[in-house]
Amino acid sequence: MLNTLVTGLATGALYAVVAMVFNIMYSTSKVLSLTTGHMAMLGGVFGAYLITGVGLSAWVALPLAMLIGAGFGLLTEFLAIRRVLAQGDEHLWVLSTLALGTIVQHLMALWWGTEPKPFPRLISQDFSAGPWDQKYWLPIGLAALAASGLALFYRRTLLGRVFTAVAEDPFAARARGIAVERVRSMSFALAGILGALAGFAAGQLTFAFFALGMWLTLSGFIALAAGGLGSNLGALVGGVLLGLLSAFSTYFFGAEHQQSVSVGLLLLVLLVKPAGLFGKGIVRHV
Amino acid sequence: MNHSPIIAPQVAPASAILCSDSTAMNVRRSLTLRQWLGRAAPLLALVLPFLLGNEYQLHVLTLIGIYWVLVCGLNLVVGYAGQLSVGHVGLLAIGAYTLVILTGRAGVDPLVAMAVAGVLGGLCGFLLGLPALRLPGFYFAMATLAFSLIVTEQLVAHNTLTGGGAGMSAPMFGAPFDTPRGFYYLVALIGLLVTWLTWNIGRRMWGRGLIALRDSDVAAAAVGIPVFRLKLAAFTFSGVTAGVAGSLFASLQGYITPEAFLFELGMFFFICIIIGGRGNIIGPFAGTAVLTLLPEVAAPLAKLGNLLYGVLLLAAVLLIPKGIGSAVTAWTERRRERRHAPPIAPNLSRLAAAIHKPGEST
Repeated sequence: MLNTLVTGLATGALYAVVAMVFNIMYSTSKVLSLTTGHMAMLGGVFGAYLITGVGLSAWVALPLAMLIGAGFGLLTEFLAIRRVLAQGDEHLWVLSTLALGTIVQHLMALWWGTEPKPFPRLISQDFSAGPWDQKYWLPIGLAALAASGLALFYRRTLLGRVFTAVAEDPFAARARGIAVERVRSMSFALAGILGALAGFAAGQLTFAFFALGMWLTLSGFIALAAGGLGSNLGALVGGVLLGLLSAFSTYFFGAEHQQSVSVGLLLLVLLVKPAGLFGKGIVRHV
Repeated sequence: MNHSPIIAPQVAPASAILCSDSTAMNVRRSLTLRQWLGRAAPLLALVLPFLLGNEYQLHVLTLIGIYWVLVCGLNLVVGYAGQLSVGHVGLLAIGAYTLVILTGRAGVDPLVAMAVAGVLGGLCGFLLGLPALRLPGFYFAMATLAFSLIVTEQLVAHNTLTGGGAGMSAPMFGAPFDTPRGFYYLVALIGLLVTWLTWNIGRRMWGRGLIALRDSDVAAAAVGIPVFRLKLAAFTFSGVTAGVAGSLFASLQGYITPEAFLFELGMFFFICIIIGGRGNIIGPFAGTAVLTLLPEVAAPLAKLGNLLYGVLLLAAVLLIPKGIGSAVTAWTERRRERRHAPPIAPNLSRLAAAIHKPGEST
């Protein structure tokens, strides 16, 4: 029972961080990128490759994985977002980010293989620790750190305030001399860094697996939809809720209904309260 | 002061006369082309099996036909109404398993089971569309993606009914359709029927309504189009065609497992339409045919199948966001313009006469 609780909290923390990654990109571009989960997947796969395959220490591999995540974030913005937003068609970005996500996923399948491979231990610890194992507490710690770090960043630093200004009103921000496009690229790089961090921290829980991206995108989005789009507190609450729900449904009903339960949560939230718990609501255009 | 109302109606018809020739010609030519295509398609479908060398090619041809039955209905949802449904593979799976379970466990005739599969597919489409179609674009795409994931997982979970991950074998259809060629003609017949239906829907009131709500749902609602009901009707219709296509798919493959209905297949259908172009029928058909043939023709590409589809989708969105169909139309129009250059030769003396006449009368 305690194990189930901790498993739920840990997977929930991973979903919450992915939901925050969604939020970072959404705030500056109003785009929900379908490559979000793939950022975490890249962090996990490259973390495992750099530590096990190349033989680097975790302290070198972590910044390198974050660098790769940032690069992928910038690539997403450059390939899938910039030209599509310039064209002004409303939902074309769904297609372009879906395409980019598919490309990255299958490139990884060709290079890394289709089998999930184990992620190395980051801290030397005995395997008998049970619920106190690092594979649970690394993602939980990261989620707490990311939520508070993002709050500090947006409130206290100049760059964070620039991000907020662009999120509130891009036209007014541009009138005050902010390079809106550059801020958008930077937000995608930041999103890539946080996504890669999430994949790295949760690697021991999820394994380094190429197909993780699409599932994390969907789960992160469910967490976001439940918590409310644009709110990091909502992302945290929604993620933990989803993680606990799927962990306990596995405990009581067995693993074969795990996806159905979390997806059922999505459909329920969309039906009852489409704005989510902490969301501002979708403004209807008239 | 007095003349101004007289001048205006005199000038307007003059410009209309000058332009009308070329416009009328364009309309007449594109209509005959379409009519020609409409008559040639059934004939081509009838003759094609005799031109093929072996049974494998006939198999691929039949597969194109089955995919087309689904894509044709989906085209109304994605191409005409602009709703990004990526989860039709779930409806395909429901149709396939309906056929297999009804014939295998209840001994129903495959043709009857196919009809039931269509009805069930339509019902599931209706029930999914009821909540999902109220959601804005991205949320709708996620809801349909979620639906297809649930279907695949439940197929594995209810293993007493569906055979679980091991799968079930599917029957052949009855008497005239039990040979590969006979089965092909059944598929061709259904494909032509569905094409005819969507063609009629597409160019009449409903299709116009769907295009209107795709371009602006607020404006469509303002002119009295029942936006939600129309979307739901199109989605239900696409569910029926997906169910029928699923039952044909199961019979063609002979053996089905939940592995056959992965998310990638749903994306494949979607890409066929996006690459072919939204809001027409020939484009998505060409997309279906080419994308199904591509991995079959070039063997090394088969391994890269899904990667290739991703690259194609990205290229299509970035380079020709309106699809190949619109690119071809634009190209032919530009070519025609060049051939008949200049397209509108102004009749200057007549124009001058038309403008000066009221001035002379006073």
